[in-house]
Amino acid sequence: MVFNAHLNLILKSLPFLLKGMVVTLELTFAFLSIGLVVGIFLALGQVYGRRSISLLISAFERIFRAIPALVLLFLFYFGAAQFGFNLSAFAASCLALGLRSAAYQSQIFRGAIQSIDIGQIMAARAIGMTQFKAAIYIVLPQALRLSIAPWSNEYAVVLKDTSLCYAIGVTEMMRQGRYIVARTFGNALLIYVVVAILYFILVIIGTRLLNLLERKFRIPGYEAKEKGEMVERML
Amino acid sequence: MVKVGSKKVRLLGILALVVVMFLGWNILSYGQNVYVVGTSADYPPFEWVDGNGNYVGFDMDVIRSIAILEGIKINIKDIGFDALVPALKSGKIDIIAADMTITAERAKVVSYSEPYWASDFDILVRKGSNLNVVTALSQGHKVGAQTGTTQADFLDNLKKSGINVQIKLYETNDLAIMDLLAGRIDTFIGDSPVSRAFAKSHPDKLVDIGVIHTGENAGFAVKKGDPKGILPLIKDGLSKLHSTGIWDNLVKAYFTGNLDKITTSYAKCKHYFKSGDPVSYAAALASSMTEK
Repeated sequence: MVFNAHLNLILKSLPFLLKGMVVTLELTFAFLSIGLVVGIFLALGQVYGRRSISLLISAFERIFRAIPALVLLFLFYFGAAQFGFNLSAFAASCLALGLRSAAYQSQIFRGAIQSIDIGQIMAARAIGMTQFKAAIYIVLPQALRLSIAPWSNEYAVVLKDTSLCYAIGVTEMMRQGRYIVARTFGNALLIYVVVAILYFILVIIGTRLLNLLERKFRIPGYEAKEKGEMVERML
Repeated sequence: MVKVGSKKVRLLGILALVVVMFLGWNILSYGQNVYVVGTSADYPPFEWVDGNGNYVGFDMDVIRSIAILEGIKINIKDIGFDALVPALKSGKIDIIAADMTITAERAKVVSYSEPYWASDFDILVRKGSNLNVVTALSQGHKVGAQTGTTQADFLDNLKKSGINVQIKLYETNDLAIMDLLAGRIDTFIGDSPVSRAFAKSHPDKLVDIGVIHTGENAGFAVKKGDPKGILPLIKDGLSKLHSTGIWDNLVKAYFTGNLDKITTSYAKCKHYFKSGDPVSYAAALASSMTEK
């Protein structure tokens, strides 16, 4: 039976694909963490920093958003080696796509920070906080909460971009799929459909979790989603 | 409010530290005291990845055997085929072992070992049949080859150009040879090293009647100018492979049977590599392939 043979192949392939999935998740986690940490600092610098700092950050952000991910990967993997930085494929991926994510995330956070009413900073300064303290303790917690929704989009993009890392030899899910296609002589459609489904599941689960997080951190009535709710409270 | 905020900052700091350590560990663990062999593990039977994540294949066993015979350490690394030459140039890898055809263009940027694999075709017929290179591939004779190979393409083009030849394609080369021995086909055409190995193993029944030159040869590649002095080691290793019989056994093992059989045979025999005995390894692999 053709169907049974296909099912059999899928079942036999799954352990390898799952092994690749672990690497895919590691990459995603690394990219997002680097992006989060660096991105927040970039955003703060861009909004509150001196003019020279904010220009520098803008340049960084423009460059990393303008270069295709694959080109960045090759630059960090092969290019850096010319200057004596012999990064492993995994480390090069983390730097290239982590910093790329930082550039994108900085724009998410910048938007969120700028959406917080300037009056709050003034009030904080009025009770004696420094500009830095006001930014960290007053603005940032609110901005981060607002960032969760766009951030879940960034999660989906970054997760899918990890598949590019196979080009420099990181054995993630896509590369594992390639191995299986090679050693079973062309079950390309079948295997890649399974890979596609696995990516789909990861994206759906991740964005769901982030949705829950967003709800958990929502302040009822403050950033109310439903207009009716707000009107009700005002009355 | 202040407390919550400071906790968050601390959390961010810890996260940053974790990331930095993570990267640092990755960079430090990248060893340099062994030769790194780059391949593109998606091209069986030359190189692929078996179910246990081992790099298997003809090229892999050849380079492993050379490493043992020459007393060097290697570390095999899988990179996409397109990325192999850039990886070599930038020092990510030291040797390319990926059935890479030697071309004038590539030879400008890398240095090649002597060709170890001829993509020429050798033509086999049964002993006693009076076919020659021309008649064996025309006059309506049945010609066998392995499906998906350059020989299969070659036969296809022959037929398209109007030459009267009947093509029979087989999943593996050994099935074609079995049909040749049984008289179901008249001619076998395969990669020169493969054909020669079959002719050698059936000296009283098969005869090699000639070569079709494609002019394509595969070689191992190293950085331009061979700054690490690897090419002499490869040259010496290859000649040792031939003189000890390892070469013939590997050709027999990798170009006769199907991949599943090769994979199980490899799993059975790879302990010989661990004990540093490539001669026994190749012999055991070849004989394990002929077991039913």
